[in-house]
Amino acid sequence: MQAKRDEKERIAMIVGKQKPFEEIWEMIKSFKKVLVFGCNTCVAICHAGGGKEAEILASLIRMKAAQEDISMEVKHAAIERQCEPEFFEHVADELRASDVVLSLACGVGVNFLSDRTGDTPAYPGINTEFFGAVEKAGIFKELCAGCGGCILHLTGGICPVARCSKSIMNGPCGGTSDGKCEISQDVDCAWYLIVERMKKLGTLEKLSEIMLPKDWSTGLYGGPRRVVLEHIAEEGKES
Amino acid sequence: MVKVAEAGVQEEVPSIEKPHETPSDWEPNILAFACHYCAFAAADLAGVMRLSYPASVKVVRLPCTGKLDYIHILHAFEKGVDGVFVAG
Repeated sequence: MQAKRDEKERIAMIVGKQKPFEEIWEMIKSFKKVLVFGCNTCVAICHAGGGKEAEILASLIRMKAAQEDISMEVKHAAIERQCEPEFFEHVADELRASDVVLSLACGVGVNFLSDRTGDTPAYPGINTEFFGAVEKAGIFKELCAGCGGCILHLTGGICPVARCSKSIMNGPCGGTSDGKCEISQDVDCAWYLIVERMKKLGTLEKLSEIMLPKDWSTGLYGGPRRVVLEHIAEEGKES
Repeated sequence: MVKVAEAGVQEEVPSIEKPHETPSDWEPNILAFACHYCAFAAADLAGVMRLSYPASVKVVRLPCTGKLDYIHILHAFEKGVDGVFVAG
């Protein structure tokens, strides 16, 4: 188990942050049977929505309900991933038996779960923040924006879309100062990092090449996206 | 692989007190989590010295207070203790 967790901690993932308790309480206080439902992959690593956090939140909700003199049955459960159908088997009945499922998965998980809870609503317990990496314990950093048109081979492995505050393709802009971005001294200038990195790699001349304007339609600007692997999805086509 | 223990739903009946007036002779129920190697040993020593503490304090010995998770403290409050004392 430990080895598995270490392996997970090295990978990039979706980072989320639990919503303020008052916001969660307002969402669920009118329901009688609440299931707090964790997701044990990405959001467990960032300590926002795993089985452990689900158990803690369920406890807090029970205590709040008692304080407010509201009769409420609060249970908790968790599965490995709320974004794949296979993992739902064990909890399918429990999901449907609840009046509301408070999902601690990322937004993907809540959407996916919502299709599987029948008449039971699925509400979000966390705010999904970004695709990130574990810089060190307790620090998560956005490194990719999922734009659908990767140019990391041209920018020294540093993404200007995610890491430049303006997502510009021809930086650094005038707001760069001693390697920091003008929005905050805590934010590195991505283009400063790109130039320094490319100098080190000996590939700086790549920046002199004229590039076509970036096609932003592959990002969310082009509408919801879908990837189909035809050689795998073949069977499902008819159903 | 899904771990059944994690996927299963925990059945638990909470016994949280509702807010009420505090009686004048009230004594708080305290649950103490004590580390085997320091705080619990100190409590043992206190016992040898015939020092006493209120009967409303219950001590749980842990191999190390580093093992104490948030949920253990929350469960204690859910079960109606008034305060949790962690010593280690």
